[in-house]
Amino acid sequence: MNNLLTFLTQHFHWLLFLFLEAVSVVMLFSYNSYQASVWVSSANLIAGKIYSWQSNVEHFFSLTLQNEELTERNIFLERQVDKLRQQLLDLKTDTTVVAEELKRAMPESSFQLIPAKVVSNSIIDADNLITIDKGSADGVRTDMGVVCGNGIVGVVYLVSQHYAVVIPALNKRSRISCAIRNSNYFGYMSWTGGDPTRAYIEDIPRHAKFKKGDWIVTSGYSSIFPHGISVGKIEKIFNSLDGLSYRLQVHLSTDFASLRDVCVINDKNIIERMRLKEAANDSLMLMPQKDK
Amino acid sequence: MTIDTLKRFLTFSFFCLAQALFFNRIQLFNCAMPLVYVYFALMFPRNHPKWSSLLWCFAMGLTIDMFTNTPGVASFSLTLIGAIQPYLLELFIPRDAEEDMKASASVIGWGKFTTYATIIVLLYCLTFFSIEAFNFYNWQHWLQSIGGSAVLTLILILSLESIRK
Repeated sequence: MNNLLTFLTQHFHWLLFLFLEAVSVVMLFSYNSYQASVWVSSANLIAGKIYSWQSNVEHFFSLTLQNEELTERNIFLERQVDKLRQQLLDLKTDTTVVAEELKRAMPESSFQLIPAKVVSNSIIDADNLITIDKGSADGVRTDMGVVCGNGIVGVVYLVSQHYAVVIPALNKRSRISCAIRNSNYFGYMSWTGGDPTRAYIEDIPRHAKFKKGDWIVTSGYSSIFPHGISVGKIEKIFNSLDGLSYRLQVHLSTDFASLRDVCVINDKNIIERMRLKEAANDSLMLMPQKDK
Repeated sequence: MTIDTLKRFLTFSFFCLAQALFFNRIQLFNCAMPLVYVYFALMFPRNHPKWSSLLWCFAMGLTIDMFTNTPGVASFSLTLIGAIQPYLLELFIPRDAEEDMKASASVIGWGKFTTYATIIVLLYCLTFFSIEAFNFYNWQHWLQSIGGSAVLTLILILSLESIRK
Protein backbone atom coordinates (compact mmCIF):
# COMPACT_ATOMS: atom_id res chain seq x y z
CA MET A 1 0.00 0.00 0.00
CA ASN A 2 2.78 2.35 0.98
CA ASN A 3 4.65 1.43 -2.14
CA LEU A 4 1.64 2.19 -4.24
CA LEU A 5 1.25 5.63 -2.63
CA THR A 6 4.90 6.49 -3.22
CA PHE A 7 4.56 5.32 -6.78
CA LEU A 8 1.49 7.48 -7.26
CA THR A 9 3.07 10.63 -5.79
CA GLN A 10 6.24 10.12 -7.80
CA HIS A 11 4.44 9.58 -11.02
CA PHE A 12 1.49 11.79 -10.31
CA HIS A 13 2.29 14.01 -13.29
CA TRP A 14 2.08 11.08 -15.68
CA LEU A 15 -1.40 10.29 -14.43
CA LEU A 16 -2.33 13.94 -14.81
CA PHE A 17 -0.87 13.89 -18.28
CA LEU A 18 -2.93 10.87 -19.26
CA PHE A 19 -6.03 12.44 -17.76
CA LEU A 20 -5.57 15.73 -19.63
CA GLU A 21 -4.85 13.95 -22.89
CA ALA A 22 -7.98 11.88 -22.36
CA VAL A 23 -9.99 15.05 -21.86
CA SER A 24 -8.53 16.46 -25.06
CA VAL A 25 -9.36 13.34 -27.00
CA VAL A 26 -12.90 13.35 -25.67
CA MET A 27 -13.24 16.95 -26.77
CA LEU A 28 -11.73 16.08 -30.12
CA PHE A 29 -14.30 13.39 -30.79
CA SER A 30 -17.37 14.81 -29.10
CA TYR A 31 -17.23 18.08 -30.97
CA ASN A 32 -20.25 17.11 -32.98
CA SER A 33 -22.51 17.15 -29.96
CA TYR A 34 -23.54 20.73 -29.70
CA GLN A 35 -24.13 20.87 -25.95
CA ALA A 36 -20.59 19.94 -25.14
CA SER A 37 -18.95 21.97 -27.82
CA VAL A 38 -20.43 25.37 -27.09
CA TRP A 39 -18.20 25.74 -24.02
CA VAL A 40 -15.05 25.06 -25.94
CA SER A 41 -15.78 27.25 -28.89
CA SER A 42 -15.70 30.91 -29.72
CA ALA A 43 -19.35 30.98 -28.73
CA ASN A 44 -18.49 31.06 -25.05
CA LEU A 45 -18.60 34.27 -23.11
CA ILE A 46 -14.90 35.11 -22.88
CA ALA A 47 -13.96 34.32 -26.44
CA GLY A 48 -17.10 35.99 -27.74
CA LYS A 49 -16.45 39.14 -25.74
CA ILE A 50 -12.86 39.35 -26.88
CA TYR A 51 -13.87 38.85 -30.49
CA SER A 52 -16.52 41.53 -30.19
CA TRP A 53 -13.90 43.95 -28.84
CA GLN A 54 -11.69 43.07 -31.74
CA SER A 55 -14.45 43.69 -34.22
CA ASN A 56 -15.07 47.05 -32.58
CA VAL A 57 -11.42 47.92 -33.08
CA GLU A 58 -11.56 46.72 -36.66
CA HIS A 59 -14.70 48.72 -37.15
CA PHE A 60 -12.77 51.77 -36.01
CA PHE A 61 -10.11 51.19 -38.60
CA SER A 62 -12.64 50.56 -41.34
CA LEU A 63 -13.96 54.05 -40.68
CA THR A 64 -11.62 55.25 -43.41
CA LEU A 65 -13.71 53.48 -46.00
CA GLN A 66 -16.94 54.66 -44.48
CA ASN A 67 -15.56 58.17 -44.43
CA GLU A 68 -14.90 57.96 -48.13
CA GLU A 69 -18.43 56.84 -48.83
CA LEU A 70 -19.85 59.52 -46.62
CA THR A 71 -17.79 62.17 -48.39
CA GLU A 72 -19.23 61.09 -51.67
CA ARG A 73 -22.71 60.99 -50.21
CA ASN A 74 -22.25 64.41 -48.71
CA ILE A 75 -21.32 65.95 -52.04
CA PHE A 76 -24.28 64.29 -53.66
CA LEU A 77 -26.65 65.56 -50.99
CA GLU A 78 -25.17 69.03 -51.06
CA ARG A 79 -25.81 69.17 -54.76
CA GLN A 80 -29.32 67.91 -54.27
CA VAL A 81 -30.06 70.49 -51.60
CA ASP A 82 -28.72 73.18 -53.84
CA LYS A 83 -30.83 72.01 -56.72
CA LEU A 84 -33.92 72.04 -54.56
CA ARG A 85 -33.05 75.45 -53.18
CA GLN A 86 -32.59 76.71 -56.69
CA GLN A 87 -35.90 75.22 -57.68
CA LEU A 88 -37.59 76.86 -54.74
CA LEU A 89 -36.08 80.17 -55.67
CA ASP A 90 -37.20 79.78 -59.25
CA LEU A 91 -40.69 78.84 -58.13
CA LYS A 92 -40.89 81.88 -55.93
CA THR A 93 -39.71 84.34 -58.52
CA ASP A 94 -40.50 82.91 -61.86
CA THR A 95 -42.84 80.50 -63.52
CA THR A 96 -42.19 76.80 -63.25
CA VAL A 97 -41.43 76.62 -66.91
CA VAL A 98 -37.93 77.96 -66.34
CA ALA A 99 -37.19 75.35 -63.71
CA GLU A 100 -38.37 72.63 -66.03
CA GLU A 101 -36.15 73.97 -68.77
CA LEU A 102 -33.20 74.12 -66.44
CA LYS A 103 -33.81 70.58 -65.37
CA ARG A 104 -33.87 69.42 -68.94
CA ALA A 105 -30.76 71.36 -69.82
CA MET A 106 -28.76 70.02 -66.88
CA PRO A 107 -29.86 66.52 -66.06
CA GLU A 108 -28.59 65.23 -62.74
CA SER A 109 -26.87 62.30 -64.37
CA SER A 110 -24.54 64.57 -66.29
CA PHE A 111 -22.37 64.73 -63.18
CA GLN A 112 -20.27 61.80 -62.25
CA LEU A 113 -18.10 61.74 -59.15
CA ILE A 114 -14.73 60.02 -59.24
CA PRO A 115 -13.56 59.41 -55.67
CA ALA A 116 -9.85 59.93 -55.14
CA LYS A 117 -7.31 60.13 -52.35
CA VAL A 118 -4.86 62.93 -51.78
CA VAL A 119 -1.38 61.51 -52.19
CA SER A 120 0.63 64.63 -51.57
CA ASN A 121 -0.42 68.03 -50.45
CA SER A 122 1.15 71.31 -49.43
CA ILE A 123 -0.37 74.41 -47.90
CA ILE A 124 2.64 76.55 -47.02
CA ASP A 125 4.02 77.31 -50.47
CA ALA A 126 2.92 80.29 -52.53
CA ASP A 127 1.74 77.97 -55.28
CA ASN A 128 0.48 74.84 -53.65
CA LEU A 129 -0.27 71.73 -55.63
CA ILE A 130 -2.15 68.60 -54.67
CA THR A 131 -1.58 65.16 -56.13
CA ILE A 132 -4.45 62.70 -56.19
CA ASP A 133 -4.38 58.98 -56.91
CA LYS A 134 -6.68 58.93 -59.92
CA GLY A 135 -5.60 59.62 -63.46
CA SER A 136 -6.64 59.32 -67.06
CA ALA A 137 -7.22 55.59 -66.60
CA ASP A 138 -9.98 56.46 -64.13
CA GLY A 139 -11.52 59.08 -66.38
CA VAL A 140 -9.86 62.17 -64.94
CA ARG A 141 -9.05 64.88 -67.47
CA THR A 142 -7.58 68.33 -67.17
CA ASP A 143 -9.87 71.19 -66.13
CA MET A 144 -12.13 69.00 -64.10
CA GLY A 145 -13.25 70.31 -60.75
CA VAL A 146 -12.17 68.62 -57.52
CA VAL A 147 -14.29 68.83 -54.40
CA CYS A 148 -14.33 67.31 -50.95
CA GLY A 149 -17.14 66.80 -48.49
CA ASN A 150 -16.80 70.30 -47.08
CA GLY A 151 -16.39 72.29 -50.25
CA ILE A 152 -14.24 72.96 -53.27
CA VAL A 153 -10.64 71.86 -53.56
CA GLY A 154 -9.41 72.94 -56.96
CA VAL A 155 -9.07 72.19 -60.63
CA VAL A 156 -7.21 69.32 -62.28
CA TYR A 157 -4.11 70.66 -63.96
CA LEU A 158 -1.97 67.73 -65.12
CA VAL A 159 -3.06 64.15 -65.67
CA SER A 160 -0.91 61.06 -65.91
CA GLN A 161 -2.28 57.57 -66.25
CA HIS A 162 -2.87 56.93 -62.57
CA TYR A 163 -2.28 60.26 -60.91
CA ALA A 164 -3.34 63.82 -61.38
CA VAL A 165 -2.04 67.16 -60.15
CA VAL A 166 -4.64 69.59 -58.91
CA ILE A 167 -4.29 73.35 -58.60
CA PRO A 168 -6.07 73.94 -55.32
CA ALA A 169 -7.78 77.13 -54.29
CA LEU A 170 -4.59 77.82 -52.34
CA ASN A 171 -2.63 78.70 -55.45
CA LYS A 172 -2.03 82.13 -56.83
CA ARG A 173 -2.97 80.93 -60.30
CA SER A 174 -6.30 79.62 -59.13
CA ARG A 175 -9.31 81.56 -60.37
CA ILE A 176 -12.58 79.94 -59.41
CA SER A 177 -15.85 81.56 -60.30
CA CYS A 178 -17.94 82.09 -57.17
CA ALA A 179 -21.27 83.53 -56.23
CA ILE A 180 -23.06 84.60 -53.08
CA ARG A 181 -25.60 81.97 -52.14
CA ASN A 182 -29.21 82.94 -52.84
CA SER A 183 -28.31 86.16 -54.59
CA ASN A 184 -26.16 84.97 -57.48
CA TYR A 185 -23.91 88.01 -57.65
CA PHE A 186 -20.68 86.56 -58.78
CA GLY A 187 -16.97 87.17 -58.67
CA TYR A 188 -13.87 85.08 -58.71
CA MET A 189 -11.83 83.68 -55.91
CA SER A 190 -8.15 84.37 -55.51
CA TRP A 191 -5.59 83.53 -52.89
CA THR A 192 -2.73 85.79 -51.98
CA GLY A 193 -0.62 83.37 -50.02
CA GLY A 194 -0.24 83.10 -46.29
CA ASP A 195 -3.15 81.81 -44.25
CA PRO A 196 -4.46 78.56 -45.77
CA THR A 197 -7.93 79.15 -44.35
CA ARG A 198 -8.54 82.52 -46.01
CA ALA A 199 -9.11 83.57 -49.61
CA TYR A 200 -10.58 86.58 -51.35
CA ILE A 201 -13.52 87.00 -53.68
CA GLU A 202 -12.90 89.78 -56.15
CA ASP A 203 -15.19 91.74 -58.44
CA ILE A 204 -18.39 91.54 -56.41
CA PRO A 205 -20.50 94.40 -57.78
CA ARG A 206 -21.20 97.40 -55.56
CA HIS A 207 -24.95 96.97 -55.69
CA ALA A 208 -24.87 93.35 -54.46
CA LYS A 209 -26.67 92.75 -51.20
CA PHE A 210 -24.97 90.46 -48.69
CA LYS A 211 -23.75 90.46 -45.13
CA LYS A 212 -20.98 88.95 -43.08
CA GLY A 213 -21.48 85.25 -42.52
CA ASP A 214 -23.19 84.69 -45.87
CA TRP A 215 -22.08 81.62 -47.75
CA ILE A 216 -20.06 81.78 -50.92
CA VAL A 217 -20.70 78.97 -53.37
CA THR A 218 -19.45 78.14 -56.83
CA SER A 219 -21.33 79.99 -59.51
CA GLY A 220 -21.50 77.22 -62.07
CA TYR A 221 -20.42 79.62 -64.81
CA SER A 222 -16.94 78.25 -65.18
CA SER A 223 -18.14 74.89 -66.49
CA ILE A 224 -15.70 73.29 -64.05
CA PHE A 225 -17.82 73.17 -60.94
CA PRO A 226 -21.55 72.71 -60.85
CA HIS A 227 -23.51 75.45 -59.20
CA GLY A 228 -23.71 75.59 -55.43
CA ILE A 229 -20.68 73.82 -54.02
CA SER A 230 -19.74 75.64 -50.86
CA VAL A 231 -16.54 77.68 -50.86
CA GLY A 232 -16.65 79.50 -47.53
CA LYS A 233 -18.21 82.13 -45.34
CA ILE A 234 -17.78 85.88 -45.72
CA GLU A 235 -15.51 87.11 -42.95
CA LYS A 236 -14.67 90.71 -43.88
CA ILE A 237 -15.74 93.11 -46.58
CA PHE A 238 -13.26 95.42 -48.27
CA ASN A 239 -13.43 97.83 -51.18
CA SER A 240 -11.46 96.76 -54.20
CA LEU A 241 -8.37 98.74 -55.10
CA ASP A 242 -10.12 100.71 -57.83
CA GLY A 243 -13.17 101.23 -55.65
CA LEU A 244 -15.56 99.89 -58.22
CA SER A 245 -16.35 96.59 -56.57
CA TYR A 246 -16.17 94.73 -53.28
CA ARG A 247 -13.43 92.40 -52.20
CA LEU A 248 -14.61 89.81 -49.72
CA GLN A 249 -12.41 87.92 -47.35
CA VAL A 250 -13.81 84.43 -46.92
CA HIS A 251 -13.06 81.70 -44.47
CA LEU A 252 -12.70 78.61 -46.64
CA SER A 253 -14.97 75.74 -45.69
CA THR A 254 -12.42 73.19 -46.91
CA ASP A 255 -9.67 72.36 -44.45
CA PHE A 256 -6.76 72.01 -46.85
CA ALA A 257 -4.40 70.99 -44.08
CA SER A 258 -6.26 67.75 -43.40
CA LEU A 259 -7.45 66.97 -46.89
CA ARG A 260 -7.65 63.26 -47.63
CA ASP A 261 -10.72 62.09 -49.51
CA VAL A 262 -11.77 64.11 -52.51
CA CYS A 263 -13.97 63.65 -55.56
CA VAL A 264 -13.28 64.68 -59.11
CA ILE A 265 -16.36 66.02 -60.84
CA ASN A 266 -16.79 64.62 -64.27
CA ASP A 267 -19.32 66.78 -66.02
CA LYS A 268 -20.31 65.04 -69.20
CA ASN A 269 -21.54 68.29 -70.61
CA ILE A 270 -18.21 69.96 -70.08
CA ILE A 271 -16.90 69.13 -73.54
CA GLU A 272 -20.03 70.39 -75.18
CA ARG A 273 -19.93 73.59 -73.21
CA MET A 274 -16.26 74.16 -73.89
CA ARG A 275 -16.80 73.62 -77.59
CA LEU A 276 -19.64 76.07 -77.59
CA LYS A 277 -17.51 78.58 -75.76
CA GLU A 278 -14.67 78.10 -78.21
CA ALA A 279 -17.03 78.47 -81.12
CA ALA A 280 -18.39 81.66 -79.58
CA ASN A 281 -14.89 83.00 -79.07
CA ASP A 282 -13.96 82.12 -82.64
CA SER A 283 -17.00 83.82 -84.06
CA LEU A 284 -16.35 86.87 -81.93
CA MET A 285 -12.87 87.08 -83.36
CA LEU A 286 -14.17 86.68 -86.87
CA MET A 287 -16.66 89.46 -86.40
CA PRO A 288 -15.53 92.75 -87.89
CA GLN A 289 -14.48 94.91 -84.99
CA LYS A 290 -16.05 98.25 -85.56
CA ASP A 291 -14.36 100.31 -82.92
CA LYS A 292 -10.95 99.88 -84.44
CA MET B 1 5.70 31.91 -5.58
CA THR B 2 2.60 34.06 -5.87
CA ILE B 3 4.43 36.72 -7.87
CA ASP B 4 5.78 33.99 -10.10
CA THR B 5 2.27 32.64 -10.70
CA LEU B 6 0.96 36.12 -11.37
CA LYS B 7 3.74 36.74 -13.89
CA ARG B 8 2.98 33.46 -15.55
CA PHE B 9 -0.69 34.31 -15.69
CA LEU B 10 0.11 37.63 -17.39
CA THR B 11 2.35 35.90 -19.92
CA PHE B 12 -0.40 33.36 -20.45
CA SER B 13 -2.99 36.07 -21.16
CA PHE B 14 -0.58 37.92 -23.39
CA PHE B 15 0.12 34.90 -25.59
CA CYS B 16 -3.56 33.90 -25.71
CA LEU B 17 -4.60 37.35 -26.84
CA ALA B 18 -1.70 37.77 -29.24
CA GLN B 19 -2.53 34.46 -30.85
CA ALA B 20 -6.29 34.96 -30.93
CA LEU B 21 -6.30 38.52 -32.15
CA PHE B 22 -3.23 38.71 -34.30
CA PHE B 23 -1.29 35.57 -35.18
CA ASN B 24 -4.35 33.51 -36.04
CA ARG B 25 -5.02 35.95 -38.85
CA ILE B 26 -1.72 35.21 -40.50
CA GLN B 27 -1.31 32.39 -42.94
CA LEU B 28 1.56 32.62 -45.36
CA PHE B 29 1.58 30.71 -48.66
CA ASN B 30 -1.51 28.83 -47.50
CA CYS B 31 0.58 26.70 -45.17
CA ALA B 32 2.70 28.66 -42.69
CA MET B 33 0.82 29.62 -39.55
CA PRO B 34 2.61 31.26 -36.64
CA LEU B 35 1.88 29.24 -33.49
CA VAL B 36 3.68 31.58 -31.16
CA TYR B 37 1.94 30.37 -27.99
CA VAL B 38 4.28 27.35 -27.98
CA TYR B 39 6.83 29.81 -26.61
CA PHE B 40 4.83 29.78 -23.36
CA ALA B 41 5.54 26.06 -22.97
CA LEU B 42 9.25 26.62 -23.61
CA MET B 43 9.65 29.04 -20.75
CA PHE B 44 9.15 26.76 -17.74
CA PRO B 45 12.37 26.76 -15.68
CA ARG B 46 14.22 23.68 -14.55
CA ASN B 47 12.49 21.69 -11.82
CA HIS B 48 9.24 23.52 -12.24
CA PRO B 49 6.54 21.22 -10.79
CA LYS B 50 5.56 18.92 -13.62
CA TRP B 51 1.85 18.92 -12.76
CA SER B 52 1.87 22.71 -12.86
CA SER B 53 3.41 22.97 -16.30
CA LEU B 54 1.02 20.28 -17.54
CA LEU B 55 -1.99 22.20 -16.27
CA TRP B 56 -0.72 25.48 -17.66
CA CYS B 57 -0.11 23.92 -21.05
CA PHE B 58 -3.51 22.27 -21.08
CA ALA B 59 -5.18 25.55 -20.16
CA MET B 60 -3.26 27.35 -22.88
CA GLY B 61 -4.22 24.76 -25.46
CA LEU B 62 -7.83 24.88 -24.38
CA THR B 63 -7.95 28.66 -24.66
CA ILE B 64 -6.41 28.58 -28.10
CA ASP B 65 -8.92 25.89 -29.09
CA MET B 66 -11.69 28.11 -27.86
CA PHE B 67 -10.68 30.90 -30.17
CA THR B 68 -10.06 28.75 -33.22
CA ASN B 69 -12.99 26.36 -32.69
CA THR B 70 -10.76 23.31 -32.78
CA PRO B 71 -11.54 21.66 -29.43
CA GLY B 72 -8.91 19.17 -28.39
CA VAL B 73 -6.37 19.83 -31.11
CA ALA B 74 -4.18 22.43 -29.45
CA SER B 75 -4.87 21.18 -25.92
CA PHE B 76 -3.77 17.65 -26.81
CA SER B 77 -0.62 18.81 -28.58
CA LEU B 78 0.37 21.38 -25.99
CA THR B 79 -0.21 18.99 -23.06
CA LEU B 80 2.15 16.60 -24.82
CA ILE B 81 4.74 19.37 -25.07
CA GLY B 82 4.17 20.20 -21.41
CA ALA B 83 4.96 16.60 -20.50
CA ILE B 84 8.10 16.39 -22.63
CA GLN B 85 9.54 19.84 -21.97
CA PRO B 86 11.13 19.17 -18.54
CA TYR B 87 12.94 16.05 -19.81
CA LEU B 88 14.08 17.78 -22.96
CA LEU B 89 15.35 20.84 -21.12
CA GLU B 90 17.40 18.54 -18.88
CA LEU B 91 19.34 17.41 -21.96
CA PHE B 92 20.49 20.90 -22.80
CA ILE B 93 21.69 22.10 -19.42
CA PRO B 94 24.71 20.93 -17.46
CA ARG B 95 24.08 18.55 -14.59
CA ASP B 96 25.46 20.92 -12.03
CA ALA B 97 23.30 23.80 -13.17
CA GLU B 98 21.19 25.82 -10.78
CA GLU B 99 18.10 24.11 -9.46
CA ASP B 100 15.66 26.63 -10.95
CA MET B 101 17.68 27.51 -14.02
CA LYS B 102 15.73 29.53 -16.56
CA ALA B 103 15.17 28.10 -20.00
CA SER B 104 16.38 31.15 -21.87
CA ALA B 105 19.02 31.79 -24.49
CA SER B 106 20.99 34.10 -22.24
CA VAL B 107 21.46 31.31 -19.68
CA ILE B 108 21.91 28.16 -21.74
CA GLY B 109 23.40 29.81 -24.82
CA TRP B 110 21.93 30.59 -28.22
CA GLY B 111 23.03 27.41 -29.96
CA LYS B 112 21.51 25.13 -27.36
CA PHE B 113 18.40 27.20 -27.00
CA THR B 114 17.80 27.16 -30.74
CA THR B 115 18.11 23.37 -30.87
CA TYR B 116 15.84 23.01 -27.85
CA ALA B 117 13.22 25.35 -29.36
CA THR B 118 13.47 23.67 -32.77
CA ILE B 119 12.78 20.22 -31.34
CA ILE B 120 9.79 21.43 -29.32
CA VAL B 121 8.31 23.51 -32.14
CA LEU B 122 8.76 20.72 -34.69
CA LEU B 123 7.20 18.21 -32.35
CA TYR B 124 4.32 20.54 -31.64
CA CYS B 125 3.67 21.25 -35.32
CA LEU B 126 3.86 17.54 -36.09
CA THR B 127 1.23 16.59 -33.49
CA PHE B 128 -0.90 19.65 -34.12
CA PHE B 129 -1.21 19.20 -37.87
CA SER B 130 -1.50 15.42 -37.64
CA ILE B 131 -4.49 15.68 -35.32
CA GLU B 132 -5.96 18.53 -37.30
CA ALA B 133 -5.74 16.72 -40.61
CA PHE B 134 -6.38 13.30 -39.04
CA ASN B 135 -5.55 11.54 -42.25
CA PHE B 136 -2.57 11.37 -44.53
CA TYR B 137 -4.51 11.69 -47.72
CA ASN B 138 -3.18 15.15 -48.49
CA TRP B 139 0.28 14.41 -47.17
CA GLN B 140 2.02 17.09 -49.24
CA HIS B 141 -0.03 19.83 -47.68
CA TRP B 142 0.48 18.20 -44.30
CA LEU B 143 4.26 18.30 -44.73
CA GLN B 144 4.14 21.86 -46.03
CA SER B 145 2.06 22.95 -43.06
CA ILE B 146 4.42 21.36 -40.58
CA GLY B 147 7.54 22.75 -42.25
CA GLY B 148 6.18 26.22 -42.95
CA SER B 149 4.57 26.68 -39.57
CA ALA B 150 7.59 25.35 -37.71
CA VAL B 151 9.95 27.73 -39.51
CA LEU B 152 7.67 30.73 -39.07
CA THR B 153 6.98 29.96 -35.42
CA LEU B 154 10.65 29.40 -34.72
CA ILE B 155 11.63 32.70 -36.30
CA LEU B 156 9.08 34.52 -34.19
CA ILE B 157 10.04 32.71 -31.00
CA LEU B 158 13.74 33.38 -31.51
CA SER B 159 13.09 37.04 -32.21
CA LEU B 160 10.93 37.25 -29.09
CA GLU B 161 13.70 35.51 -27.16
CA SER B 162 16.24 38.05 -28.38
CA ILE B 163 14.25 40.96 -26.99
CA ARG B 164 13.39 39.21 -23.73
CA LYS B 165 15.61 40.06 -20.79
